[in-house]
Amino acid sequence: MKNILRITILGIMRDRVFHGITVAALVFGLVPVISQLSMRQVTELALTLSLSLTSFLLLLLSVFLGGVSLWKDIDRRYAYSILGLPLRRSDYVLGKYLGIVSFILLTATVLGIVGALFSYSAIGVYPPNRPVLWENYVYAIFFDVLKYALLVSFAFLFSTISTSFFLPMFGAVCIFFVGSSSQEAYNYVNSPEAAALHPAAKSAITALYYVLPNFGAFDFKTNAIYSIPMDYQGLMLTFVYFCCYVSIVLGLAVILFNRRQL
Amino acid sequence: MSHPLELSSVSKQYVSRKHRVDAVREVSFAVAAGEIFGFLGPNGAGKSTTIKIIMNLIRADRGTATIFGTPSTKAETRRHVGFLPENPALYDYMTGAEYLRFVGNVHGMPKQRIRQRSDELLMLLDLLPAAKRAIRSYSKGMLQKLGLAQAIIHDPPVLILDEPMSGLDPLSRVLVKELIVNEKKNGKTVFFSTHIISDVERVCDRVGIIRNGILKAVKEVAPLLREGIEAYRVRFAEHESSAEQEIMVSPDDLTTQMVAITSTGGTIRLLEPVRKNLEDFFLHIIRED
Repeated sequence: MKNILRITILGIMRDRVFHGITVAALVFGLVPVISQLSMRQVTELALTLSLSLTSFLLLLLSVFLGGVSLWKDIDRRYAYSILGLPLRRSDYVLGKYLGIVSFILLTATVLGIVGALFSYSAIGVYPPNRPVLWENYVYAIFFDVLKYALLVSFAFLFSTISTSFFLPMFGAVCIFFVGSSSQEAYNYVNSPEAAALHPAAKSAITALYYVLPNFGAFDFKTNAIYSIPMDYQGLMLTFVYFCCYVSIVLGLAVILFNRRQL
Repeated sequence: MSHPLELSSVSKQYVSRKHRVDAVREVSFAVAAGEIFGFLGPNGAGKSTTIKIIMNLIRADRGTATIFGTPSTKAETRRHVGFLPENPALYDYMTGAEYLRFVGNVHGMPKQRIRQRSDELLMLLDLLPAAKRAIRSYSKGMLQKLGLAQAIIHDPPVLILDEPMSGLDPLSRVLVKELIVNEKKNGKTVFFSTHIISDVERVCDRVGIIRNGILKAVKEVAPLLREGIEAYRVRFAEHESSAEQEIMVSPDDLTTQMVAITSTGGTIRLLEPVRKNLEDFFLHIIRED
């Protein structure tokens, strides 16, 4: 698994997608400039831009790498050579998954530091009323990484059953949008505004809420931007939720890939 | 003692919405230790499907494939196997040397040994100048040779090669044939598929002929070639100064004819066996259908 992880990272580093995203990261240079446009909320805007840009680049990485990595190995028959080696299919899938997630974590760390530096330079000019809680900034990025790690696991799950890249790629995008709004949908059906909604529709939405991933649970940007103290119990619950969910999805991916005829 | 490679009643059917294709039907054979076994058949005969089953890339519907008695579905059996897929696809962002290092690492070889074997194989297969180039820049022949290098880097007792001579120039073909024969000399078992009959004639101890997914025959190659003498081509001259004549003589009449020629003062200039070769045998098997 360790060897697969290593060559997966090497492959990403030498991939054009990575080079493109690296170039896109230059946009960070605009953070201090754009932040100055908001005279009263420079800190908040700088942090929002840094965290959102980091999150967006991680989303691109997750969708492209998660959606393409396994599928490309099967489509271009690299998997034939690799699985002819003394490797279990589960080790192969998990090695590739961990390679991508490690790379996402590495990218998030680099982007997080770059974003923090640019934000810091913007904040230095207009000091905020409330001190920035940099610890929250780290939590926000770390949980963003977990969110995208979960998204990559879905892309892998789709790759194990798909013969084209459409399902893993667009399936992951759909899961992202659905997962990002599932909390809002759940809140809505349980609010007085949804009283007129048919009970069956309510039940269906509630059932989907429990089945589909809830990416809203991983969003701690507000805490980072407005220096709101973290609820550590909430953080722990989200982490446990991630561990359980990702284990189930990857477990399914491994089972399906084990049955796959190459 | 269990065979290095054994297949027992292996069957595989591909099912699509419209068709059912019996890719392999009840295929059974065993390859003995130190043997080179050629798996011969026309395109679409079931050679690659059989190899994919052996390598656990696809699952047989029925029957088992074993490596030294252990089902080949177990990943650990591949520690004893070197596998070259047909038209090998290797991670093209890596260099040749990096790929060999990766394969050596997967096999758990010590670093020093990986370096030594890599250099040895890259040199042997004439890939040393390209060792630090990305695989995506390799020609088809170079890729095939690198595929072969990664299959033997860990010095496995069993080699499974799918069309190992495909895409190679004549010089490289000779090189690969020599390599296969050397592996046998070192006590290794080689199973390779091909549709090129002369490759089998030159290097194989036994040949299995597959057609439409059915293993039609398994024969030893040497007796097949030896027993296949149909006639002798005899070129002779009646006198020193007379013109050469050529006749075909059946093996039964050879002695009588030789005596007849020499007793009248004639000279034998050429005596050549005309044999029914593997190609004829192969065509005979194929045309039986």
